[in-house]
Amino acid sequence: MQNHSATPSEALAPLTRRRFLQSASALTFAIGSAGLVTVSRAGANETTQEAAETEITAWVRIGTDDRVHLVFPSTEMGQGSSTALPLILAEELDADWDKVEIDQLDRDDRSFGNPIFGNILYTAGSTAVYGYFDSLRIAGAQARRILMRAAAKSWDVPMTEVTTEPGVVLHEASDRRMTFGEIAALPIDDLSVPEVTETDLKPASSFRLIGSDLPRRDIPAKSTGRETYAIDVQVPDMLFAAVLRAPVEGVSAAGVEDSESLAVPGVLRVLTLPEGIAVVAERLEAALAGKDRLQVDWTGATGVLASDSEMTLSDYSAALKNPTAERAVWSEAGDTDAAIAAADRVVEAEYLSDYAYHAQIEPMAAVASVDPDGLGAEVWVGTQTQSWTTRTITETLGTTADRVRLHALTMGGSFGRRTALQQEYVSDALLISKEMGRPVKLVWTREDDVKNGRLRPAAAQRLRAGLTADGALSGWEHRVATPSVIAYFNALRWEQVRPKDIISMRGSESKFYGFPDMRAEHILTERHAPLAPWRGIGASYTSFAAEAFMDELALEARSDPIDFRLALLASNPRGQKLLKRVAEMADWNSPREETALGVSFAGYGDSMAAGIAEIALDRESGVITVQHFWTAVDAGLIVSPDNALAQIEGGIVFGLSSSLKERVTISGGEVEQSNYYDYEILRANEVPEIEIHLEESEARPTGIGEVGTPMVAAAVANAFHALTGRRLRHLPFIPDRVQTALA
Amino acid sequence: MIRLNVNNEEIETDAEPDTALLWVLREHLGLTGTKFGCGAGMCGACTVHIDGTPSFSCLTSIDSLEGAKVTTIEGLSPDGGHPLQRAWVAEQVPQCGYCQSGQIMRAAALLAENDSPERAEILDYMSPNLCRCGTYNRIVKAVQRAAREV
Repeated sequence: MQNHSATPSEALAPLTRRRFLQSASALTFAIGSAGLVTVSRAGANETTQEAAETEITAWVRIGTDDRVHLVFPSTEMGQGSSTALPLILAEELDADWDKVEIDQLDRDDRSFGNPIFGNILYTAGSTAVYGYFDSLRIAGAQARRILMRAAAKSWDVPMTEVTTEPGVVLHEASDRRMTFGEIAALPIDDLSVPEVTETDLKPASSFRLIGSDLPRRDIPAKSTGRETYAIDVQVPDMLFAAVLRAPVEGVSAAGVEDSESLAVPGVLRVLTLPEGIAVVAERLEAALAGKDRLQVDWTGATGVLASDSEMTLSDYSAALKNPTAERAVWSEAGDTDAAIAAADRVVEAEYLSDYAYHAQIEPMAAVASVDPDGLGAEVWVGTQTQSWTTRTITETLGTTADRVRLHALTMGGSFGRRTALQQEYVSDALLISKEMGRPVKLVWTREDDVKNGRLRPAAAQRLRAGLTADGALSGWEHRVATPSVIAYFNALRWEQVRPKDIISMRGSESKFYGFPDMRAEHILTERHAPLAPWRGIGASYTSFAAEAFMDELALEARSDPIDFRLALLASNPRGQKLLKRVAEMADWNSPREETALGVSFAGYGDSMAAGIAEIALDRESGVITVQHFWTAVDAGLIVSPDNALAQIEGGIVFGLSSSLKERVTISGGEVEQSNYYDYEILRANEVPEIEIHLEESEARPTGIGEVGTPMVAAAVANAFHALTGRRLRHLPFIPDRVQTALA
Repeated sequence: MIRLNVNNEEIETDAEPDTALLWVLREHLGLTGTKFGCGAGMCGACTVHIDGTPSFSCLTSIDSLEGAKVTTIEGLSPDGGHPLQRAWVAEQVPQCGYCQSGQIMRAAALLAENDSPERAEILDYMSPNLCRCGTYNRIVKAVQRAAREV
């Protein structure tokens, strides 16, 4: 078992080879993207050596004690898929949910990786449920048939006569039943994998688990302080480290004055790392105090990485109009130029958005224990990708994955932060542990986390569209000037997808409208900051621009903003339904006195959302208050409705927070903000009442983690125009900008 | 050595007198339910009760705590069965969960002062505690549910 003293979460017990072996005999199942791959019996006689050599993950294990262990291939950052994914398999298996235990996959076993990301183990983009949905269902159905087949054989009855109830196979004609555990104890000789096709799967009307509001498994531990995050891990003989990282990418320490740091009681060493200076101590408080006392001369910050954010945004704005700027078509249909040229009039507008920071409440932290030979390690860390964390470890130590013992712990929020190919907080912890010859807990302070943020990029966007004499849309052009995020945070991926960057561009395809003549273009600008995916990715700013512009077009066409959108959605009845529904929820046509409404229609991937914000304004201070937010969402089949509501609400709060407050500024290459006092996020007393309608659907699930975010900014900006007649075209809508707009 | 009373246990610590209570709780005593978020009293993840008053343990040095009673999430109830904790489960409040110990500790102090708080009172009282997952509205529901049960 793990040798850290912290109590493992009751929900996500770490899967370890030894525990797997200590159990009595069990039926185990390996899964791949097409369903079950192999079935085997894990006997008590299997040796550790054999198990290590086979390296097959028992994705499903049915013990003779009736316990069903399901391995969770994604990771948990609050989105709830650690409950939802096992539940999908348990549904088709017809498992007794109370007997299901969920184990975290802690290895880079890509045999059941995320099919949306080429089988990399990668938890991002709201993809877990829809990426794994088919394979989990088919695997569950196959495992169920294997149990039925074994029971039928032992009763000597045809398999067509047996059926299941949760956790039990039964033969009604003879009134015989066997629990899954009893079947697992049978001497089963047929371990072949049965054929199962989609038509063999349960119809939605037979679901027992999917669509019901089963509680999330992780919530009791998260309501009692017993959940274990990376920052909580304690292992024997552990040291603590704090790292002063280079304030600007690419600079190195020319001189380090560390005598004051070393004078702090408990500080053991000051180490120079490739991108920072580490203070290592017997106690965390000593490491932090030692870090504060470091004096470092940094050298080498030059060129594009030493820039200012204001300058960057004006450069990006200029690039929109520069015909020689590097560009790539992101999405295109029909003949946009001809449609716009044929229009009665042309509307154009430019939108800007600032850098944004993830602001997850758990700062980056990792515990690493490097083996004496320096070529292996045990690592405890929160990660959105077991694959890239494992790769970070093997690259840092120059070793192979079989020497890595990873513990992928639940994350104190992430929102895209822990997705990168190279994870600096992991490699720093490893290098320090290797040097010290002891386990090390590396903890970033909030200031470290802000200053070393991996940001949503700043962007400048230009929208241009034609209107016919009777106010119909004729051609839509959306240009986005922003750097490639993928090129920075995952160079391997960039080689595969270049020049199409979904992280930078998502949303600008405006796919729900199905414009006959449209073009979305990426102006690939120079990168001036470290970047990462951020909740909603590109759609958090492209949908702001597109849906704020849509309101400007509606006004120009003398049309109601909802009617104008409904007309454009003629070929999307599901989308129309959402807009009509949200208009009813908000009582769109009823006049307000001190407040105003704004609408937006956006979404994420294939999930659609229509939203209406009601805002009030303090004209003197320039502070916008969002009083209500209504939304209607269609995300296909919903696996866990209550959790979907929570995710959508969280996505809306994230969108409001970033629309009203959040902005990173950079001066001389350094992030100017430090902590929550100058990077403010939405507080409880600023949160509106939120009402959500989830459209019932049996269509394929399409993801709920990010659908709430992209619509929000435009809804607020459009409400502001309804209230004041002025446009807000620069995100976030901080009081200064509001006052400027009002002036 | 500094003596502290934590969750009704008398303990001694050899931590430096100016050490933040947060580090003593988490790293010396292993009470990791109390979280580090900002170190500046801006996020509330480190909220504990000091003589019943919700306090930022990141800004409280241990030498100020002589004779005081510190209560952490681990000491709020013996078995996680405090009405607020039950309400947190019933309303399915936590997402990532990282801020929730602090939220529950602040909410417990609110209920001690006000046994039937209105939505606006709850939101105002809870505003020192950040939640990046956006669970604020569920927190309101859970506090009101617990208030009905108390």
